[in-house]
Amino acid sequence: MRNRGRLGAVGLAVGALLLSACSSGGGGGGGNGNEPPKGPDKNRADNYSLGTKADSTGPAPEVPGSKKGGTVNVLQRDAFTYLDPAQIYYADQLTVQMLYNRSLTSYKIDEKGQVKLVGDLATDTGKVSDGGKTWTYTLKDNLKFEDGTPITSADVRQAVERLYAPWATDGPLYIPQWLSGEGQEFRKALPDGPYKGKHLPASVLDTPDEKTIVFHFQQPHADTPYAVAMPNIGAVPAKGGKDTGKNYNTRPVSSGPYKIETLKAGKQLTLVRNENWDPDSDPIRHQYPDRFDIRFGVQEPDSGRRLLADRGSDKNAMSFSNAVTIEVGPSVKNDAGTTSRTFNEVQPYVDYMAINMRRIKDKKVREALAYALPNGQILGQLGGPNAGQIAGNLLAPSLAGWKDSDPFGKKAKPNGDPVKARALLKEAGKEGQEIVYAYPNTTEYQKISVVVAQALDKAGFTVQKKEIDSNNYSTEISKVNKKIDIHRASWGADWPVGSTVVPPLFHGRGVADGGQNYWLLKDAGVDAEIDRIKGITDVKTASGEWVELSEEILTEHVPGVPIFYNRQWSIWGSGLGGVKYHSVYGTTDPTGVFVK
Amino acid sequence: MWRRFKRDRAGVVSAYVVIFFFAAALLAPVISWLYGKNPYTTYGIERPGLLNEFFYPAKPNGGIDSEFWFGLEPGLGRDVFTQLFYGMRTSLMIATATTVLCVVTGILIGVTAGYLGGRTDYFLGRFIDLLLAFPSQLSFVAFTPVVYALFVSPEKETPTYLRVITLIIVMWALGWMGLARILRGQVLSLREREFVEAAKVTGASPWRIIRKELLPNLWTPLLVQSTLMLPTFVTVEAGLSFLGVGIIEPTPDWGRMFAAGARHYENDITYMFFPGIAMVIFVVAFNLLGDSVRDAFDPKTKR
Repeated sequence: MRNRGRLGAVGLAVGALLLSACSSGGGGGGGNGNEPPKGPDKNRADNYSLGTKADSTGPAPEVPGSKKGGTVNVLQRDAFTYLDPAQIYYADQLTVQMLYNRSLTSYKIDEKGQVKLVGDLATDTGKVSDGGKTWTYTLKDNLKFEDGTPITSADVRQAVERLYAPWATDGPLYIPQWLSGEGQEFRKALPDGPYKGKHLPASVLDTPDEKTIVFHFQQPHADTPYAVAMPNIGAVPAKGGKDTGKNYNTRPVSSGPYKIETLKAGKQLTLVRNENWDPDSDPIRHQYPDRFDIRFGVQEPDSGRRLLADRGSDKNAMSFSNAVTIEVGPSVKNDAGTTSRTFNEVQPYVDYMAINMRRIKDKKVREALAYALPNGQILGQLGGPNAGQIAGNLLAPSLAGWKDSDPFGKKAKPNGDPVKARALLKEAGKEGQEIVYAYPNTTEYQKISVVVAQALDKAGFTVQKKEIDSNNYSTEISKVNKKIDIHRASWGADWPVGSTVVPPLFHGRGVADGGQNYWLLKDAGVDAEIDRIKGITDVKTASGEWVELSEEILTEHVPGVPIFYNRQWSIWGSGLGGVKYHSVYGTTDPTGVFVK
Repeated sequence: MWRRFKRDRAGVVSAYVVIFFFAAALLAPVISWLYGKNPYTTYGIERPGLLNEFFYPAKPNGGIDSEFWFGLEPGLGRDVFTQLFYGMRTSLMIATATTVLCVVTGILIGVTAGYLGGRTDYFLGRFIDLLLAFPSQLSFVAFTPVVYALFVSPEKETPTYLRVITLIIVMWALGWMGLARILRGQVLSLREREFVEAAKVTGASPWRIIRKELLPNLWTPLLVQSTLMLPTFVTVEAGLSFLGVGIIEPTPDWGRMFAAGARHYENDITYMFFPGIAMVIFVVAFNLLGDSVRDAFDPKTKR
């Protein structure tokens, strides 16, 4: 899952120049306090479970104090690139689609933050047979699109098959790849998608009756219940010419509690009630407000200021993904009145410093880098412990079976360990080793480059800093022949199992231009291990094995240095209730929001 | 003339202020040595207790105390006092060099076009039009990475002197046209005047006419323009640093300090206060100085 939070968040804050009297000062305790904000960590693996059939039955339990009616204003920084569920992969769009799109399964989150994966369009999380290769889903009764036509298995098939069309490149492609082949290979099975009257054979994707969908995968896939929770495994009308392929993006047909009223590209999106949505069929969503009025182009400092000020229409405002930034952070924290309308939670995103293993071949040098990097200082430039939590290992705490390991002592020494790093470098005989460090050319990352270069200098490296235009950054770092030794990279799990982190990041297959194997790690042992764990049919066993493997990769190969786990700090207006954290997407969950 | 200038009290005061700024900028290393801090050390993140959990100065008023006279920078915790002087040094050096280059180019091209007239004037005029049509900010952004890629190996850091030279060249290349235009117009009207005719009749060479007859009459627009130009270049340079094509971290930069101050003003107004006030005083003083120097040169335009 991709996060466009941090990197872009460095926005150009050309604030108004108000010169008033002297400031009252930062205040607060000293120390670069690395202790995270208090409160239970909702993003922990033991918070996740698979729901039963009873859990999957609607309606969703009423939110205490909820009322119907009113308009919820939503302030968002970026316009949504996609509304078409087939193409959605970014956290902000994953959040909005919850309101108008239903998938086979979905995440049900209670007020304590417990997450259960339950059947959404389907009656449960799926029945497995044939040693994990065949998964059967049955649709609930009384499911309708916004125009009143019933949702049948043909519509789910349509949603899956349109992912084979050549334009459907931006969403997650787990299901089609599992059905018809890795990489882009799967597209050959249905080159035009469902648009020319062809369908996948029943031996691959079968719809024996109006209510049943059967997936026949090539390999066993234990985490299918999670994969069909991705928004593109839902329902798209197969009949009536509503599915216009690529153009479906401007007006997707709703299966959820809200439907799209108007979309002004780049400016505004309004959602209104979908009268054909049946609350009794939906275990997750509510339909409290009359409308959602989503405005784009509100920079994070501005949304933070407006929501903190809590005046006029901003009283009923929230944001899905805009975070409280450093500009308003201290004010929010010092204002006791905001505690009931904020949360600060760990997201499933991890920031790494990737090491180019093709250029830094000596493992000792990579270890020295790992010891030398000043995680706490890097995080400090982005807002300190409120913006993230120092990472000890490669996996986010939200992943099933996660262990709080810290092989390079990053938590104990947030400023790095130059003594140990220097010793390792000496051992390797590489003192003064030149390191080409690339960073996106933004205000924050220029500052981060200062602390990184300083720490590496102390450890005995010679740093060559290269700034890269932030618009080209992600392209440049995913080139195989990059002339870069270390750079920042980030990844988030699509669902809370290591299978969505370890294979895409560390399998040798990912060594390709545009691939996510940023460290260019190509190790037969690792690849074999990944393939072996993929074959395990029990999710729980597999989860533990992924954690073990990631640990082994980090200590045996040192492909990169985990820097921090991102946190989402959200604030909303005092006129809203039922706002909670969606720990899988790392955003604010709008499904239970109501106007007080 | 000198006496006339000395009588203008505002002019004298602004002259002292401007001299002070230039001296402070030039003597930045000395000041930093006397004061015992440097602009590169990140005191705040090395010594616990100076910054709070948001990496803002923990003490009130931006962390001002007997040790850090102007407080600490948020985030990195560097010393603002030395940052400011070093930053002024960077900015003033670049702005002065660019202004000098622009004035020289402006005089050369403007006077040539005006004095020679005819086809030369036409072609120079169109050339100026062409350059004026370039969106300058965009050209800077597009041009600088190309220069760096041309001169620096992809595996080496871009040296600061190359950044400085590139900045000066790009700002110069698109900064001299206004002045040239104005001078051309002035020369055009002057060259038909009797004293120029008289000089021509007595057999003076064009070079002598330009030097002795025309240039003394051009002092007023020249001074006004260049005193406006220098602060403008300070701010343009600041803008470019802000866009990431100018001077980047860790080289201290006045404009970038100011931009960062604008970002942190809600929580640390002190940090914007010092570079901001310094810049306001400098720009005002420089403009007043320009005014009174012009008055001193040209007694007819009495206020």
